[in-house]
Order: sequence, then C-alpha cells, then structure tokens
Amino acid sequence: MKRLKKILIVAGTSLLLVMLAACGGGSSASNDSSGSKKITIWAWDETFNIKAVEEAKKIYKEKDKDVKVEVVTMSQDDIVQKLNTSLASGNTDGLPNIVLIEDYRIQGYLTSYPDAFADLSNIVNEDDFSDYKFAVNKVGSKIYGVPFDSGVAGLFYRTDYLEQAGYTAKDLQNITWDQYIAIGKDVKNKTGHALLSINPSDLGLIRIMMQSAGEWYTAKDGETVTVSNNEALKEGMKVFAELINSGVATQVSDWDGGVNAVQSGDVASSPTGSWYSSTIMGAADQSGKWAIAPIPTLADNSKSIPASSIGGGGWYVIKGVGNTKLAKDFLKQTFATSSDLMDTLANKIGLISTLKSAASTDAYKAKSEFYGGQQVFKDLSEWSAEVPSVNYGLHTYAIESILTEYAQKIIDGADIDTVLKDAQTQIESSIAN
Amino acid sequence: MKGKVLSFIKYFLLIVMSILSIFPFVWMVLGMTNKTIDITAGKLMIGDQLTINFTNLFNNSLNFTGALRNSAVIAVITTVLALILSSMAGYGFEIFKSKTKDRIFNFLLLSMMVPFAALMIPLYRMFSQLNGTPLRSIGINSMFVVIVPSVCTAFLIFFFRQNIKSFPKELVEAARLDGLGELAIFFRVYLPSAKNTYAAAAIITFMNSWNNYLWPLVALQSPEKRTVPLILSAMGASYTPDYGMMMCGIVIATLPTAAIFFVMQKQFVQGMIGSVK
Repeated sequence: MKRLKKILIVAGTSLLLVMLAACGGGSSASNDSSGSKKITIWAWDETFNIKAVEEAKKIYKEKDKDVKVEVVTMSQDDIVQKLNTSLASGNTDGLPNIVLIEDYRIQGYLTSYPDAFADLSNIVNEDDFSDYKFAVNKVGSKIYGVPFDSGVAGLFYRTDYLEQAGYTAKDLQNITWDQYIAIGKDVKNKTGHALLSINPSDLGLIRIMMQSAGEWYTAKDGETVTVSNNEALKEGMKVFAELINSGVATQVSDWDGGVNAVQSGDVASSPTGSWYSSTIMGAADQSGKWAIAPIPTLADNSKSIPASSIGGGGWYVIKGVGNTKLAKDFLKQTFATSSDLMDTLANKIGLISTLKSAASTDAYKAKSEFYGGQQVFKDLSEWSAEVPSVNYGLHTYAIESILTEYAQKIIDGADIDTVLKDAQTQIESSIAN
Repeated sequence: MKGKVLSFIKYFLLIVMSILSIFPFVWMVLGMTNKTIDITAGKLMIGDQLTINFTNLFNNSLNFTGALRNSAVIAVITTVLALILSSMAGYGFEIFKSKTKDRIFNFLLLSMMVPFAALMIPLYRMFSQLNGTPLRSIGINSMFVVIVPSVCTAFLIFFFRQNIKSFPKELVEAARLDGLGELAIFFRVYLPSAKNTYAAAAIITFMNSWNNYLWPLVALQSPEKRTVPLILSAMGASYTPDYGMMMCGIVIATLPTAAIFFVMQKQFVQGMIGSVK
C-alpha cells in the first residue's frame, strides 16, 4: 500500500505545482502596472460613463501614445463594496488609479480615508466649473475631485398632453410644486394621464426640493442631522405626500417601472436629473412631444429657486496605487479642461457638463428636434450654474434608508412634525454607531 | 369522496407552487428573445430578438466568454479539492478515536455561525499580505484567492461526518485486519460506497462556487479575472440596462448548475437522506 500513498503524494504535489504555476504567470503580469505607463479607471454604466471615458482616452492618445488606459465596467454598488474593503483593510493593491464616485458618497470617503485620495487642487480650476460641485469634493481648501456630469434637475414634460389640458410652455415656467399639482389635476381630468410616476421608496424628489432651497438631511458640517426642524424637508415631504394622495401620480415599485411609465406614454411629465434625457429619448416615437422646464420651487420657502440637482459624480485619483502623476495628467488633459471632449460627449451621450466652457461649443447651441426645437443643452447648463451649493455630508444614503419608512407614515397621514422628530432620533442613534 | 377532495387540494396546491417556482425561469427564457422595453413592460410572448441579444452578449467589452471560463475553472477546482479534503476530514472525525475530537468539531460548527461579511476584511488583509511574498500566486487577484476559502467548509465536513455515521465501521476494522493502510481504506473501502454523498456534496459546492459573488467581487481585481456573477452585475449597472442581453447571460449562467443537478438528481436525493450502498 505504500505505492498508493506515493502515487497520491506525487499526484497531489504535481497538481498543486501546476496550479501555482498556472496563476503565477497571470498575476505577475498584472502586478507590474506601477512601473509601466498604464492607468486603470473604474466606472459604471456602459452606455454613459464608460463611453465618456472611452472618448477621453481617444483625446489623451493624441497627447501621449505610449500610455495604456484600461477601463473597467462595474456596477456602482460593486465599486463601493470594493473600495470599502480595500480602504478599510489599508491595502490599495489592485485598486484603480482613477475612479468615478457619486457626489452623494464622496464626502464619506474623504472623511473616513483622508489619505487615500490625491490632492487635485493644481489641475482643477474652481472657476471653470459649476459652483455647487465644490461643496462636496473639497476638504478644507484642497480639491480632491474633477467634477463630471451635472445632475441638474429639470421638469421634463409632454407638450401634447399639457396642451390638451389647456397649458402652454409659458404656464410651466417658474411654477411652484403646488401649482404643479394643480396642473396635474387638470391633466388627469382632461387627458386621463397621470402627471408623473412616483416610487414611494425613492426620495429623489425630496432631495431635489431640499437642494433647491440649499438644505440637506445634514447641516453644513456634513454630520449634524437636520431632519426635524428642516423647513425645506418638511415642505418637500408635504408635497411628496400630496402628489401621491391627490391621485396625480401613478405609483411604481422600482426604477424600471418609472422608465416604462415614461416610454409607454403613460405619464405627462417627469421631474428628474438631466441624465434621464437619454432614457426619455429611448422612446423615439415620442420625438417632438417633449420639452424641459425649470424645476418647480417650494411655495413657502423664500430660499427655494428653480434650479436643483440630483445625482452626478466626479473623478477621483487614488494615491497608493502608483502612477499618480500620470493619472492626474490624464484628468487634466481631458475632464478638467477639454471643452472639445464635452462637445463630443454632449453629442454622443447627451452629457450636461459642469465645465462652464462647454456652453460655448456647438453642441450646446444646437436645437433638439426631440424636444421640439428647444436649446436643451443651453438651458440645462444655465440652470446647472445656478444650482445652490449643498454639502451632502457623510450619511445621505444611510439617512435616506431610514427616512423612507417614515415617509410612508407621512403619506398615510401622520403628523409631519412628530414623524420627522421620531426619524431624527432614530437616525441620530443609528449613525452614532 | 373525502379522499378525492383531499387529493384535489393536494394537487391544486402543488400545481400553484410549481407555477410560482417555474414562472421566473419561463420569464427569463422569454426575456431572452425580447427587447428591453418589452421586458420591462411585462411582455410574455416569444420575441424575435434572440440572435441580436446573443450577439450583444458576446460582442461587448465585458468579455463574457472569459468570465465563463474563469467561473468554470474556479468551480471545478473548488469542487474537486473541497470533496477530497472535506470528506477526509469528516471521515477522520468519525472513524478515529480521540478525546478532543468532539470539542474541535463543535468549535468547527461554531464557525458556521459567523457571517461572511464579518470575515471579509480580515480575510482580505490576510490574502493581500501574501502579495508581497513568494506566495503571491495565492494572494489577492489570483484565482486561488477565491478557491482556498471555500475548499474546506464546516458545513461540508459536518455533512460528510453525518453520512459516515451510517457507514458500517466493521468494514473498516475488517480492512485493517486484512492489512490495508488507512488511506487505502478511505479510498478503496469508504469512497466507493459513498457515491451519493459525494454527488450531493458536489452539487452543493459547485453551485455555491458558481454563484459566489461577494468574495470574488472584492478579491479579484483585474477585469479579465472576473467571474460570471460579477459580469452580470456589471451589465445591470447602467441607467438603462439591456435586459434582453442580460437574460441571455443569465440563462447561460444557469445552464451548468441545472445540467449538473438534473444529471445527479437521483444521487442528490439519496445523498441528502444519507443512504449507503
């Protein structure tokens, strides 16, 4: 039986060796990236952000042919998960040089891992971009991110439905949310269409309303929870509940439900971020029937202006990965300065840039056939420049996941002040942990 | 009469339950042939987009073929290693006498209570420290970083030990008297009698490895090393995902586990109830 043992041992060891050799080759090839001229970029969405990086890559190729840029598509949740694990364990191996991070999340990273990101103050000129972008990508006076897409909010609406209900484009300029609901009732009565679709567990609309008044779930320091005694939030909640209870909104249960409501022609409008435009344009048969008005304001809040934002992100450079200089130069030549790039991206993916000089490019002057000849890019980028600056703080999503339950109570008719007070208590104790 | 009513109720419930469990699969297969907009609208008919969806799936930057290969290699190696190691461990725990073995075994079972999320960051640190040493080939971003943690699981050891309990010990003693070495007893006497147990364990391990998401996500860094679940997740990441293409990917990702299950179904059931032939 010794023979069997021997055979087993030999077989086992050789299997192990083969396997070690097999992947030894692979990993050594990918580990020497710090020495060569190569940078890696992580982003989400093949149809939007990834296309943007690919265009940026083309531009940079003209400046420096030897640099290899690797673009990796990952879902945003996956990127967050990987960043969290790597940064928490203090090991930056395998992280990308450049990563796209959403505005709502970045302050959390910059505060929790202050040494992880490179200072980009010398490649980003604050005057070149929409002001509100710098409320989130700075710590002290240091700029850590290159602002990317504008999440500027607009009121997308069906001109044909509104006309049937007796409204012209003029009637939708600079309205309040209360007027918006009143219009919705007419639309519902005369055309049978809902005014908009709402997913009660997505508080995006509330975020839009709060930011239009320069408020947020947290105070300017990014940490003090300001859920109770927050006039903008309170009124936002009231409007949110009214939209649902007055019957002008049709309820959907998820993102796709909202997309479907728009593309199938069920709803007459959609107050949302500029990036939604490509989704709306996905329904090619509705060309010429849409237009965009400024976002409504809160009636009882004097600070509320017809400009706000939802979503949007920026490019960040991770320090410990190596090739920091190259990564910074890449961003400097592309997203931080190139209005040509923004022109291309406006044409190819409908990006509303936060780079001010983009407004002078051809794409931004063009009239959109889909939106009935409106100068969509010009309008949206003008509103983008007006968006009130808000520090999204460290806990936007954590707060919102708790607040969603309380929002349901408000929709069901509970007293707003009491509910928000309870929410404040629960949020404070959950964040303290 | 009473019997008829009862069996009617029984079959009615069974039919309802089967429709509930089969429906998602039917929808997935139908989705494969439709455009995204039809899928989100809830269309339940066969469409004409099958070839387009297939072409999209294999012709994008995400390298689906590569992911299939990675997943297959990882799942097969994990399954083979896990079966050998865990069955040996389970066999050892049951057959050999030792005073401390039950204490160790209980300790092992305790490890089943710890959720993976709690182990992830320490595990990541451990493996990433290997990257600076000659053992780099089993560190972060290698194939083995995914394989090693799932090769020896408390559940599998427990599963094998339970099954070995019904294995007649007399056979072991008889073999010893005949002069067979311990390893040979394991491979020649025990192993051939426990095919069902191995089949069940193989299905469980293969499925877990094939569907494993969180750990490969954080441990694999280069895009060319990504496994199928990671690619599917990346596909769903857009503001306007291409569901038709994703459904194609999901169907293909489901096939191997389905195939393995159908082939070994009989053994699986017997393995789970613990019979020895």
